[in-house]
Amino acid sequence: MLSRRTFLKTGAATAASALAMPALAKGSSIKIGYVSPQTGPLSGFAAADAYVIESFVKTAKAQGVDVEVIVKDSQSNPNRAAEVARELIVRDEVNLICVASTPETTNPVCTIAEAEEVPVISTVAPWQPWFIGQQGNPADPASWQAFDYVHHFFWGLEDNVQVFMNMWDMIESNKSVGALWPNDGDGNAWASDVGMPPALAEAGYKLTDTGRYQNLTDDFSAQINAFKQNDVQILTGIPIPPDFTTFWTQAKQQGFTPKMVSVAKALLFPESVAALGELAHNLTCEVWWSPMHPFTSSLTGQSCADLAGEFEEYAARQWTQPLGFIHSLFEVAMDAIKRADDPTDGDEMAELIGSTNIDSAVGKIQWGRDNVPPFAQANVSKTPLVGGQWRMQDDGSFDLVIVENGLAPEIALTGTLEALS
Amino acid sequence: MTNSSKSTLSRVIAVLAVLVLALVPVIGSRAMVQDLFMVLTLLVLALNWNMLAGFAGLVSVGQQAFVGIGAYAMFGGVILWGWDPLPAILLGGVAAMLLSLPIAFFTFRLNGAYFAIGTWVSAEIVRLSMAQWKALGGGTGTSLPKGTTKEMIGVAQIKELLGVSSSAASDALTYWLALTLAVVTLLVGYLFLRSRMGLGLQAIRDNVEAARSVGVDPLRLKALVFVLTAFGTGLCGALLFIQITRVSPDAAFSVVDWTAFVIFITVIGGIGTLPGPVVGVLVFYILQRVLADYGTVYLIVLGLIGIVIMLFARKGLWGMFTEKTGIELLPLRHRSLQHRPSQRSGN
Repeated sequence: MLSRRTFLKTGAATAASALAMPALAKGSSIKIGYVSPQTGPLSGFAAADAYVIESFVKTAKAQGVDVEVIVKDSQSNPNRAAEVARELIVRDEVNLICVASTPETTNPVCTIAEAEEVPVISTVAPWQPWFIGQQGNPADPASWQAFDYVHHFFWGLEDNVQVFMNMWDMIESNKSVGALWPNDGDGNAWASDVGMPPALAEAGYKLTDTGRYQNLTDDFSAQINAFKQNDVQILTGIPIPPDFTTFWTQAKQQGFTPKMVSVAKALLFPESVAALGELAHNLTCEVWWSPMHPFTSSLTGQSCADLAGEFEEYAARQWTQPLGFIHSLFEVAMDAIKRADDPTDGDEMAELIGSTNIDSAVGKIQWGRDNVPPFAQANVSKTPLVGGQWRMQDDGSFDLVIVENGLAPEIALTGTLEALS
Repeated sequence: MTNSSKSTLSRVIAVLAVLVLALVPVIGSRAMVQDLFMVLTLLVLALNWNMLAGFAGLVSVGQQAFVGIGAYAMFGGVILWGWDPLPAILLGGVAAMLLSLPIAFFTFRLNGAYFAIGTWVSAEIVRLSMAQWKALGGGTGTSLPKGTTKEMIGVAQIKELLGVSSSAASDALTYWLALTLAVVTLLVGYLFLRSRMGLGLQAIRDNVEAARSVGVDPLRLKALVFVLTAFGTGLCGALLFIQITRVSPDAAFSVVDWTAFVIFITVIGGIGTLPGPVVGVLVFYILQRVLADYGTVYLIVLGLIGIVIMLFARKGLWGMFTEKTGIELLPLRHRSLQHRPSQRSGN
């Protein structure tokens, strides 16, 4: 936290005089605003922020590009995310905004920046809740509009659904799936027609969906009973970490023992897995990035393993998946800055970001490819997704083993899938 | 200086202040306009809550229900029925007023702390219900369609008049609406409290039985205040979410953003006084600008300040100021005529 403040130029000094001050004169350096949830329930996503930004500023300086990164905390609150986006645009007059982590952070920032005509690079939110969630009427595809200034790279629900189903195909089961989908941006997207139900039906799986529940529920008996009644052997869902801990503990107490648990979002971070203790052994999740990924950074030339190693040394903690993606946000930014005649010209930058074509630490980033439906092609670039399984080590810590790579064979497997029972 | 010349002076100052504020979009920067917009909308929320808790004795922790319903009604008007955002703001106020009727019906059976919890529960019910409204995105929420705010009635004219971009023009428009709303709320509050009904209201707050015995109808007056403040809060919610441009149940019905901060503002400024919320909102704004980048420390500091003020300056900063200096703005006390010369001659 403290290191972040060393290059943070907002805060007390400007704030005190801000009311009486006219717009700041533009300096020669390029100002990048960065918004992420650094405090609150989503703060796990921001664990790598301080390291990534510090090393980006250092690298940029070494390459002779004068950048300043202004960091803002969304406090895991969409209202606050909108507010800081406005501050960055109007008060700090940033030339470009980078934003990451969950639709609750990316969407308010992108909506405002699009209206203010400021270019944004966004990541770490499946593209459906990002793109469709920003449309005035999500239910009416005919009314959807593409964006001119905001660009997003990440994978989509179809990838995650595929990865999970590939894993399930590897084990013997009765093909009965139980789903835990909350009433939030991610849960609604998963449960919708662009999400999992149609794919399951097509592949001959039977779905038990008990309906959208509210986040931070403390009793999952109804769900557990329904799953038991329908003899569910495969559990999936996208709960927030505290809810999954509650659910899984209660499931064990009430004798619900599926053969396979594939849960998105809740099992991303070593902390949330460690909180479950041995109950977390062999749970599976989606893997968007790992030190084992065979990619190199276009910014520093580091391999994924080098990047994770440097981070672990810097932060004295285990690597985390957002590391690669936050790093790549700045790869895209730097690439566009280097190609620009005038990096402070928002229109030019938005166009240049749209024409990005780099091999980054998270794989190829290029917009306009046909692995995304035509309506979103201009704004969404997909990155590869694989499946992982958490393995408890002898010392009680957990390792994420890559067990499924059907969609991205270039990412090597590091183990084989094991059923829970 | 006599009391009447004093109040003339304070009126002149107030009118000048409003004029200067009205000119901000013309002479000030956009950052200033947006900051003052936040300050003014929080002020409106605080004035409304102060009217409820400070004057009517109705300590509500469910004001976010009215902010949220105002925001959702406005979004419904714009997205589902194709309205212009300006009439949709009115729709937000009306929706909040309608919602306040059933809430009042149930919660008015409760007193004190039970009433507070009752309003909170009602707000949660409304939040959970809105999360089921699929057309407006359910729990995911939704954004205002692209370009909505730039095509609002009046934006084109302001753009031409001030020679600014359409985003700045829509900022100016919402700012002027917020200013109008704040001034009207303050003025109506003052006139209402100076009226016979206002006197009755404060009598009820201080002792219901005594007030009833001299012929004041507590239920009627309290219900009137509850419904009117719901209207003001709903208008303010709709206006706020035109600026935020994105609505979701958690954001629109945030108890921290729309009630806890508002209580903080009123309490540190001076609950039960009219200038109190004005002072409170300025203090809150400064704290937010200085501390918001420190994450959780910011909230801890806010909490500590609240506790210290509640312990050592029970009437808030404005109450303390009035006690020390004897200066009163927008006084609500009624003095009998024959005592006036002897009391606080002032010179």
